[in-house]
Amino acid sequence: MKKSCIAMLLAGGQGSRLYALTQDVAKPSVPFGGKYRIIDFPLSNCANSGIDTVGVLTQYKPLQLNSYIGTGQPWDLDVSDGGVYILPPYLGAHEQGSWFTGTANAIYQNIAFIDNYNPDNVLILSGDHIYKMDYADMLREHLESNAALTIAVQQVSLEEATRMGIMSVGEDGAICEFEEKPKHPKSDLASMGIYVFNWKMLRRYLIEDEADPNSSKDFGKNIIPKMLANGEKLWPYRFKGYWRDVGTITSLWDANMDMLSTTLINLYDPSWPIASRSPVLPPHYAGENAEIIHSIVTEGCEIDGHVENSVLSASVKVGAGAKVLYSVLMPGVTVEPGAVVEYAIIGEGTKIGAGAHIGSEPDGSEGWGVATCGPNIEIRPDATVAPGAMIYNGEEV
Amino acid sequence: MRDYHGIIFAYHDEPALRELTAHRTAASLPFCGRYRLIDFALSSLRNAGILDVGVIMQRDYQSLLDHIGSGKAWDMSRSTRGLRMLPPFGLPQYHTGDYTGTMEALLAVSSYIGNIDENNVILMLGNLCANLDLDAAIRAHEASGADATAICADHELPSTHSSYVLGEDGLVSRMEMFRVGASEGHPSLEAYIFRKDKLLALMDACERRNLHRFHRDAVPFFLEQGGKMAVYVHPGYARIIRTAEGYVEASRDMLVPENRRQVFPADRPVRTKEHEGVSTYYGENSSSRRSLVADNCIIDGDLRDSTIFSGVKIGKGSTLEDCIIMRGCTIGENVTLKHVIADKACSFSDGTVLIGSEKLPTLVPKNSKI
Repeated sequence: MKKSCIAMLLAGGQGSRLYALTQDVAKPSVPFGGKYRIIDFPLSNCANSGIDTVGVLTQYKPLQLNSYIGTGQPWDLDVSDGGVYILPPYLGAHEQGSWFTGTANAIYQNIAFIDNYNPDNVLILSGDHIYKMDYADMLREHLESNAALTIAVQQVSLEEATRMGIMSVGEDGAICEFEEKPKHPKSDLASMGIYVFNWKMLRRYLIEDEADPNSSKDFGKNIIPKMLANGEKLWPYRFKGYWRDVGTITSLWDANMDMLSTTLINLYDPSWPIASRSPVLPPHYAGENAEIIHSIVTEGCEIDGHVENSVLSASVKVGAGAKVLYSVLMPGVTVEPGAVVEYAIIGEGTKIGAGAHIGSEPDGSEGWGVATCGPNIEIRPDATVAPGAMIYNGEEV
Repeated sequence: MRDYHGIIFAYHDEPALRELTAHRTAASLPFCGRYRLIDFALSSLRNAGILDVGVIMQRDYQSLLDHIGSGKAWDMSRSTRGLRMLPPFGLPQYHTGDYTGTMEALLAVSSYIGNIDENNVILMLGNLCANLDLDAAIRAHEASGADATAICADHELPSTHSSYVLGEDGLVSRMEMFRVGASEGHPSLEAYIFRKDKLLALMDACERRNLHRFHRDAVPFFLEQGGKMAVYVHPGYARIIRTAEGYVEASRDMLVPENRRQVFPADRPVRTKEHEGVSTYYGENSSSRRSLVADNCIIDGDLRDSTIFSGVKIGKGSTLEDCIIMRGCTIGENVTLKHVIADKACSFSDGTVLIGSEKLPTLVPKNSKI
C-alpha cells in the first residue's frame, strides 16, 4: 500500500533531565496537563492531520509506553491499512542490529518498515514536545517548495537561540546555514525537531551516514549538515503556534502551568482534539471544604482541600485543610489533610503525608526551583521537601 | 468461558420518568455525570467475565444503540458471540404495541434464548443502579442447588414491588407483591439467575396460559409448580430508577462519598462509552462544593450539591444549587439555577433565573434555549 507520508516518532529517549520522573518510564509517557501523556500530542496531531501510519521508536523503559499506545484506538490509529506500530531495536540474522545509537540510526534500522509503505515522504517527530500542528500543511509546503527536507522552525529570542539549532535563510527563502547552539546566533529561527524528508533522499543519506565511522548518527549533527553541504534544498516551515520542549523539570512545570491559560493553547477546541487513553472513572468530586480556583481537575479526583493554579491528573486526592498551589499532581497522587504542596511536581501514585510541606514560593534566591517527588513514594507526615529538591525512592538526588 | 449468558431488559420507557425518557429508554438515561443506567448491568456482567449478552429493546432505542455501539467498552465486541442487540423479532403477527410484561419480552426473543450456548441465564434490568458482584451471586446460586436465584437488596427499596420470604430450607417459600411501603422478606432487585432449561420451560408454560407478567404471573406459577428459588442479598447501594423523583434521589445519593464507594468500587469498575476529552478547567471565579463534575467542562461559577456532565460550560457569576446538568449544556453569566435538571445540550442565556421545587426539580427538555 503506497502512502504519501508516514510518521516516525522518536520515543526512545531516556529523559535523564527529568530523572525522578523517568526512572521507570520513557519521557513520552510522562503524564501531562491533567488527562494526557506527552506522546498524546504528536499522536493526536498525526491523526488530525490525516497521517494514519505511525512508527513509534522505543528503546528506553518501553513497557508502559507499549501498553499505553496499544492498538492506537484512542487516537483512531487502529486502521486496517496502516496504524501505529511500536518499533523496538531488534537483532537480525547473524546477530546484525543493535540498540539505536542515534536518532538517524533509529530510522536507519527501520528502513524495512518504512519501505513496506513505500512512502514519498517521511515525517520525523519527537516524543517530548507539547504543541498542536497540522502536519498536512507542512507537507503541502514541503511539496510546493520541492525541497529534499523541510524543517519546522519557530522564531525565538536571541538568548534562547544560543541553546537551540538555528537556521539562517537565504534570499530564495531556503535554509542556507544550520548551527547547533551557536554562541552568536545569526538568525532567530530555531529548529523544532520536526522534519519532513523526501524518503528516497533520506534513505540514501541514512545508508551513507551509517557507513561513516566518524558520524554520531544524529539528524541535527550529521544528516542535516551533510545535506546542506551537498547543496540539497532545505526549506523552513514557519510555525507560529504554541510549542514547548518539556525535557527539563522547569520546562515541564512551565508548560503544565501554560495549560491554565486558555489563550496560549486551547485544549477545548473540538476541531483539533488531543486524545488520550484514560481509565473510565467517576466524575471528580468537590467535597464540603473544597476550594478549586484556576485549576485543571480530572476524573476520579476527590478534592476536599484548597487547590489553586494547579494541574491535577486522574484520581488525585486532596484532603481537608491541605493546600495545593502552583503544582502538577500526576495520576493517583494523595495529599493528606493539612499538607502543603507548592511549586512542585509530584509523580504518579505518590502519597504526601499529613502536615508535610513540599516546595515553597520563589524567593529570588539562586537555589530556588520547582520541588519534585518521584512516583510511588511516601513522604512522611510533617516532613519537608526543600524547593528545587528532587526526591526519588525516599532519597534526595 | 463462563456457563452464564446475560439478558438485559432495556425496553422500558417508564412514563413516570416524564420528559427524561421522551427520546430514550430508562436504560439509556444519563446518570452520575458520565454514565448511562445500562452501564451498571453491562459492567456487572463484564466484571464477572460474562461477555455473551443480549439486550432486549423495543422502541426509542436510537440513544441506546448509539451508546452501546459494538459493545467494545465492555469488551463484548467478540469475534464469536459477544453482545447482541435484540429488537422484537419473535412475536406473532397480530402483536402490536408495547410489551405488556417481561415474559412477553422474553417470548419475543425466545429463539435467541433457545440458541444460546450457555446453560444459565442472568436476567437484569437496564435501569438498575447497582454494582452487582455477580461472581459472588453465581457462587451462592451454585452452592444452593436451586433452579433460580433472586438477587435482592439488603435494605428497603422504594422502587421495587416484590420481595421474597424464605422458608426453613433456606429457599424462597413465597413472594410478596406490594404497591408502596415496607414488606416482609428481601426486596427484589428484579435480577435473576436461571437455569436455561427451567427458564425456557417457564416461558413455554406462561405462553400457553397467556401469562405476561414476570412478578405477578410467572414467579408465583414457578413457585407453585415446585420450582426451587434461592435468594442472594446484594450488600450495598441499589435503586431501580422508575420515576423522575427516584432519578433525582439516586443522583443526590451519588454526592455522598459512601454511596459512591459502593457503586464504584475500584475492583469492579463501571465501564462506559469513552468520550474523547480534556480535563475540566476551573476559572478564577469558580467554586465547587459537594458536587460531581465530569471532564471536558469549563467552570467559572459556583456549584453546590450538583452533578455536571461532560462538556458543560458555566459562565462567571452563575450559581447552581441542587442541579443535574447533562452533556453539552451552556450556562451563560450570572445565571441562577436551583432544583433544575437540564437535559442534553440546553443553553441558558445571561441572567436567567430558574428555580424548581426541592421535591420535584424543574425538567428542561433536550436542546432547550432559555
